[in-house]
Parts: sequence; C-alpha cells; structure tokens
Amino acid sequence: MQYQSPLTPRAKRWLEIRKPISRRTTIILGVSLWAAFFIIWEAAVKAGFVTELLMPSPTRVLSTLAGLLSTPDFLMDIGASMLRIAISFLMACIVAVPLGIAMGTFRVLEAFFNPFMAAWRYLPAPSFIPVLLMWFGTGEGPKLALLFIGVVFFLITLVMDYTKQVRQEFVETSMTLGGNRKQILWTVIVPAVLPNVVVAMRQMMAVSWTYLVIAEIVASTNGIGAMMMRARRFLHTDEIMAGIVVIGVLGLLCDMAFRWLHRLMFPYVEESAR
Amino acid sequence: MSAPKLSLREIGKRYQIGSNTEIEAIHRVSFEVMENEICVLLGPSGCGKSTVLRMVAGLEEPSSGAMTLDGRQIEGPGRDRGMVFQAYTSFDWLTVQQNVEYGMRLQHVPAPERARRAQHFLNLVHLSKFAQAYPKQLSGGMKQRVAIARTLANDPEMLLMDEPFGALDAETRWHMQELMISIAEETQTTILMVTHDIEEAIYTADRIVFLSRHPGTVAANIVPAFKLGKRWRRKEEVLELDGYAELERDIMKLMRQQATDEVQAVA
Repeated sequence: MQYQSPLTPRAKRWLEIRKPISRRTTIILGVSLWAAFFIIWEAAVKAGFVTELLMPSPTRVLSTLAGLLSTPDFLMDIGASMLRIAISFLMACIVAVPLGIAMGTFRVLEAFFNPFMAAWRYLPAPSFIPVLLMWFGTGEGPKLALLFIGVVFFLITLVMDYTKQVRQEFVETSMTLGGNRKQILWTVIVPAVLPNVVVAMRQMMAVSWTYLVIAEIVASTNGIGAMMMRARRFLHTDEIMAGIVVIGVLGLLCDMAFRWLHRLMFPYVEESAR
Repeated sequence: MSAPKLSLREIGKRYQIGSNTEIEAIHRVSFEVMENEICVLLGPSGCGKSTVLRMVAGLEEPSSGAMTLDGRQIEGPGRDRGMVFQAYTSFDWLTVQQNVEYGMRLQHVPAPERARRAQHFLNLVHLSKFAQAYPKQLSGGMKQRVAIARTLANDPEMLLMDEPFGALDAETRWHMQELMISIAEETQTTILMVTHDIEEAIYTADRIVFLSRHPGTVAANIVPAFKLGKRWRRKEEVLELDGYAELERDIMKLMRQQATDEVQAVA
C-alpha cells in the first residue's frame, strides 16, 4: 500500500504554549541576550554615548579583571572574602541544622523556639551593623557576625520546614517495625531530610554573598567589597565592575558546587525533587 | 478452638471538635482474628476502618474498650504488629535490600543473618533481582512488595495492611492479591487488612468484618463459607464458585444501605 505524503504541514510559530524546543534553540536563545547586552554596551561606549570614566566598556572591564587576577593583592582580597563566607556559613550551619531538625521533629521545641526565631527573621541584618561595630570593633568580628545573623534565622526556618515535610508514613512505618524515638530520628528523619538540608544551604549561600558585600563595603580594609570601595575613591570604575563580575562568578560557582554535591551525595533522589 | 490472636472488645474512638463538640467515629467495635487467619475490614468510605487498623497498630489510642494480641494488652506501636500503608513507604535513601533489612537493623540483628533473611523474603516477593536497586527505579507494585517483604522480614506476630493495593492499577492489584495469599500460606502469618474493594475482600478473606458508618460499628461478621474453608491461588477460581455472586450482592446491599443513609442525612 502506498502512503500519501503528509497533507499540508502544520504552520510553525515562535510562541507555542508549553511546547518543548530543541536544545540548540535553547542555547542560541540563552546566549543571544547576553551577546546583545555586551554588544550594545561596547557600542555605546565606543560611540561616546556614555562617559568612559563612569561606564568603561566590557572589553576594558575584562582586561582590567585579567590584570587584577595576576596581582597578589586582589587574590588576597578574594581569599579574605571567601574565608569570611566559609567561616560564617559553617557557624550558621552548625547552629541551624541541628536546631531546625529538632524543631521540625518535636512540637514542644517548635512551640518554644519558633516565635523567637520568626521575629528575628524580620529584622534586617544590616540594621545591626552599627551595634556590631561597637561590640566587635573593626576586625573580622562584625563581618562574621553580620553574615551569621543574616543567614542563621532563615536557615533554621528552612530546615525546620523541610523536616516537617518528612512523610508521616515513613515515621509510622519505623514505629511499627519497632523503632524507638532515637532510632526514628537518626534512621528516618535525618536521612530523609538531608537532601533538602543541602538544598536549604544552597539557597542561603546566595544570601550570604549579599551580606558579605554589604559588610565589606561598610567597614573593611580587605575583601572584594573593600577593594571596590578603594577603587571608587580613585574613580577606577573598571575595577569596581571587575569586582562585581568576580562576585557574580564566585556566587555562581558556589551554587554549582552545591548542586554537584547534591547529585554526588544523594544519587537516589528523584530528579524532579532536586 | 484455640484462643484468638487478636481481640478487640467494645473499642470506641471519639474526637474533640471545637471546644465542646465531640464526635464518635468508632462505636463499640468488637471482633476477633484467629491465628493464621486473613481478616479483612470492609466498609464504605468514612466508616473508620483505617482508624480501627491504626488503633490495632498502636498509632492511635482508643477512647474506650480493650485490645489484646495473644492476650497481652496493646499499648503502643510495636514490631509485633508490622504495617503496610497505602502510600509507598520504601525509604528512598536505602536500596531494596537495605529496606528489607531495616527492621532487623533496629533490632541489632547481626549483618549476615540480616542479609540471609532479606534474601529469603525478597525471593518470596520475587524481587531478588532488584536487591541493589533504589526505590526510585521501582514501579508501584514493586514498592508495595518491598514494603511487604520488609514487614515480614521483621518477624511480626501480625501483618496489618491499610488498603495496600489501593494505589495500584487493576492488573497489578490482582497479581498482588494472589501473591498475598501465597505468602500468607507459606509464612503462616496472621493478616488484618483494610479495603473498600468488595471483590478484593471476598477473594482474600477468611473472615470479613463489615463496618457501617457514623459511627463506625460492626454491621456484619462474615465467613465466606462458599470458599470451602480453603484459600484459592487463582482469583478467577473464586469468582466462578457458587456463592461468590450471592455474597458480593449481599455486601453491595450493605454498602448501598449505608450510602442511602448518607443521602438521607444530607437531604
């Protein structure tokens, strides 16, 4: 039997509701807006629409960045910033993860701690900067404290909520298999919530970077934010922008590291739940 | 006749709604389950059959009455009454074999003994090939078989099942019912199962306890005599037996009566 060629092919349209598009198209579309952004920026500087002193071209920013990355001072600044993030984030996790899991598991602890934690969450962390400076001087203290305050209360809440989402049937299954409270906590609740604890950490990491820059801009002699404030004094706009790029890239790398860690540690998690 | 395995006497359950309103969900439920018996709790939705099962499991506390297993008072959840839920409860961070070993790990059974028993029960539910798989790789029916193997490997006095096949498609469902009967035969396990599926109840049960609703109470305690006191490995053989259709019709009438009460209550 002879098959007819298809009737009229359906008309192709750009905007189709929820219709999947090819990987190639996805990449081209994703790259094109960035490309347009840089081209217009570069062209605007070249054409003299903007003052180069206030708005250096992207190529200029990139060459400045390359130059900065070969100076030990800037690498020290990056190191100082990353160390602040690492230390403060670790402290926040040490407090928030066990407390969040405990609050999500025992209603008594939730009732006791949550009204307190919830109030602190609504106080903007940067509003503490003046007192933190008075209490801790100008060393590492106030910076670490700001980053800690900015992250810990949100992390506690996130971990608590994720712990409460651990399915009741899991807990009850363990109960009918003879699990006691300690066993249920350590063999059901903790392993069940762990993948989402890493998700919560990833979410809070982005917040941590925000507070880092605030801390370093307000009062610091080293770190990426401090470098940017120094550059401002000498009208080195290109260095400020190079700093922004570095912060953006580091934030992105952090996020990717957490995603990679999640995949590595929890291969059993359904892809849709990541 | 031997003493009953499980005995419920005048079990009641009341819930507080608001400050001074109380509703009676379960009213004086009494029945007994014999050693090695498959007892099915059947009834219209909302009759509280799951609540009764959860009270037997120790997950909820009765407001009145007494429950005993082997003559001992039921105080709370315990490994002597393992439960299989309708929702999938395979721990997704453990492999199939680790899931089956889970209860034994809680009991500090030595690793070689754990592995040996896990293998045995995985064999029983035809999942030996999937011992090293994670639950996300399994179908719904396979996940329920893991749950059954995990519960049995823990060596309970009784297996409690709360609509265990309710989330499965029709074909998987009857395969699971047949599997459940062959497992009950092989392991000599006493089973108390909740279902709202009449066909499932008649096929699997040695005894059907029918609950009516508002409040839930025992309306009928039926031994399907037409099955001639034996268990049938193939479901269609039971459907063909004289007496099947009649019992199904009788139970449907019981269900319908309940439904009409409901409609009248609303109207």
